[in-house]
Amino acid sequence: MPLRRALHAMGTRFELLLDDAPGARAAAEEALACIEDEDLRLSAFRRDSLVAHLNAHAGAACRVDDDFLALLALCLTVWEESDGAFDPALGGAMTALGFREAAPAGPGGGRHAPATAAAPPLTLDPAAGTATVSAGRALDLGAVGKGWALDRAAAALRAAGVERALLHGGTSSVLAIGAPPGAEAWTIAIRRPPAAPGPALEVELADAALGVSGGHGRVHTRYGETLTHVLDPATGAPARRAALAAVVAESAALADAWSTALLVRGGPCPRAPLTWAAVLPADASAGTAGAENPLS
Amino acid sequence: MTAFDRRDFLVRTAGSAAAFGFAPDLMAVPFGRGRAPLRLAVVGLGRQGRAILGELAKFEQVEIAAICDVDERRLAAGGRRARGAAAFADVGALLAGADGLQAVVIATPTHLHREPAEAALRAGLHVYCEVPLASTTEDARALALAARGSDRVFAVGLTARTNPVYKLARSFVVSGALERTAALEAAWNRKLPWGEAGRGDGGPGDHGWRLNPAVSLGLAGEIGGLQCDVFEWFLRISPAAVRGHGAVRYHDDGRRMADVVQCQFEYEDGLRMSYQASLCSSIGGQYELFRGSNATVKMADTFGWMFKEADAPVQGWEVYASRERFHNDEGITLIADATKLAAQGKLKEGIGLPFPPLYYALEAFLKSALEGAKAHADAAVGLQAAVVGIAAARAVATGERVAIDPADYELD
Repeated sequence: MPLRRALHAMGTRFELLLDDAPGARAAAEEALACIEDEDLRLSAFRRDSLVAHLNAHAGAACRVDDDFLALLALCLTVWEESDGAFDPALGGAMTALGFREAAPAGPGGGRHAPATAAAPPLTLDPAAGTATVSAGRALDLGAVGKGWALDRAAAALRAAGVERALLHGGTSSVLAIGAPPGAEAWTIAIRRPPAAPGPALEVELADAALGVSGGHGRVHTRYGETLTHVLDPATGAPARRAALAAVVAESAALADAWSTALLVRGGPCPRAPLTWAAVLPADASAGTAGAENPLS
Repeated sequence: MTAFDRRDFLVRTAGSAAAFGFAPDLMAVPFGRGRAPLRLAVVGLGRQGRAILGELAKFEQVEIAAICDVDERRLAAGGRRARGAAAFADVGALLAGADGLQAVVIATPTHLHREPAEAALRAGLHVYCEVPLASTTEDARALALAARGSDRVFAVGLTARTNPVYKLARSFVVSGALERTAALEAAWNRKLPWGEAGRGDGGPGDHGWRLNPAVSLGLAGEIGGLQCDVFEWFLRISPAAVRGHGAVRYHDDGRRMADVVQCQFEYEDGLRMSYQASLCSSIGGQYELFRGSNATVKMADTFGWMFKEADAPVQGWEVYASRERFHNDEGITLIADATKLAAQGKLKEGIGLPFPPLYYALEAFLKSALEGAKAHADAAVGLQAAVVGIAAARAVATGERVAIDPADYELD
């Protein structure tokens, strides 16, 4: 019997599946603790999170630990390589549109949130160990946090000697350690969104991670309009170019960040360090502009 | 007075009332200015130790000079949160090898607090020690005596005592908001195994020590004793006896340590505290509850609520306070920096805290170490909480009523 453990964190359900071997229960607990700890540090909903701390000091350098600095460096790299399609500092727009706990702005509010691709969302000083959220911006790591937490959990499992496990956060972030018995990889099915009907996509994962972004997941109705939670940094409004983006990368954090970037772009990005990607058009009749784009 | 003026007045009054007896700035308060940063070491880099490193990183007044753990992986993980810190596998080497050390945080398993804490005191260092202080009365008393015999700061990690929301709630309780305290209640519920049974010997590096009855106080002692301290601090009461029950109801891994416990703590004049803790269910979470004839106060980590009886005196400010519905009851949310927020019309934004409770406990310790102020939760307080926890653990293990000698609470 496999061991199945789950935890509610980051507004979704995380789940681990691993062999119930000696030591596995303690390893799973350690892995879930990693996810819970990252939730406390990265949450956009908690006043006492590390993200809230940096946002409260936007414009000023804050000391951060090397773990957090590494996450912010990853975010900045993807922001640069995606030409700003992935932006880790859309907190203002997310709040204004009502995706965070604070009250949303009135009708039309948040739609034109200034999230320009030209200005870096944050600056890092690795030598000093500091991070500065750009003035007027607010970190929101919702597009990368689940993947980052899964990477930390997987590291804990591997350190405890676990050689085979499947982890996911809300099913949109998936990380595979090894492969199931008798197989070369875990087979993951990706359900298509209503806007792009068809057979499910299938991905083979072994020691790799899958990130899926789509407008059909978390939605929110506001003033009669259905809003999706992935925002286009260029407009501050929900991304509309694609219905779904799925990518495979070496880490879950990278997969999360790049699936968001490709969803916003509506197509592939040559600089993305991915082993596989697919982008489904927002409109099924849209032709090749947003067709599936396997990269390898 | 116009309607607007009256409302504004009442909102401001709400803030004043809510801040009664307590007016801190919840954001970082400058301290230790003009002094060199405190050179500090963290011993024990499990989950709590890493959380401590994360919070310490927010203070400009601290330089984490060294970290220590017998587990190489934990040492490496700690290193990622304490840049430039020297790494040591044992406390003796740390105390001998770390230059200019001024303070130590002890976050080892409970039964391994005494040795490193006493060694740090002997080395002339300030000490912040996690709780419970120890797993035996002998160790707890010896450590408390060592702390009293030192001129260094010795603080214990009873974080409720420095938590701004708890401080605010305490100010209400002390000022008589409950009227008669009728009953007390506390709970702690998490669905997790707490390690794996039968793995490890309780020695350094044993991550499953909490399930080992030879060294662990179990749920009642490791957690319940600390929650009892909230009642001690608010009401100045200590239990005279405790009854307990424990069973393994869920985790079928051969463990002997109960995964569900219930205790009843007996105080003077018929007052009782019902306690329940579980590793089987997360519903209900963690809380401490004071049931009074005028009001009931419920505390839960960074949140607190006051539920007023219909016939309780009305003070006016309640009308405009932030409220939350719990089935048939409506709780007034306790907001620690209400004065400032009410004046700005941002009362709801103050729910919760800008930092975790651990931050405030460490901040208080650092202030004491840098400026010489008395520790908010000192060794004597730590001894009391340990005595309660040890008695509760024994009550659960034996199923018998365990009386606590009042002399056990005293250091002399």
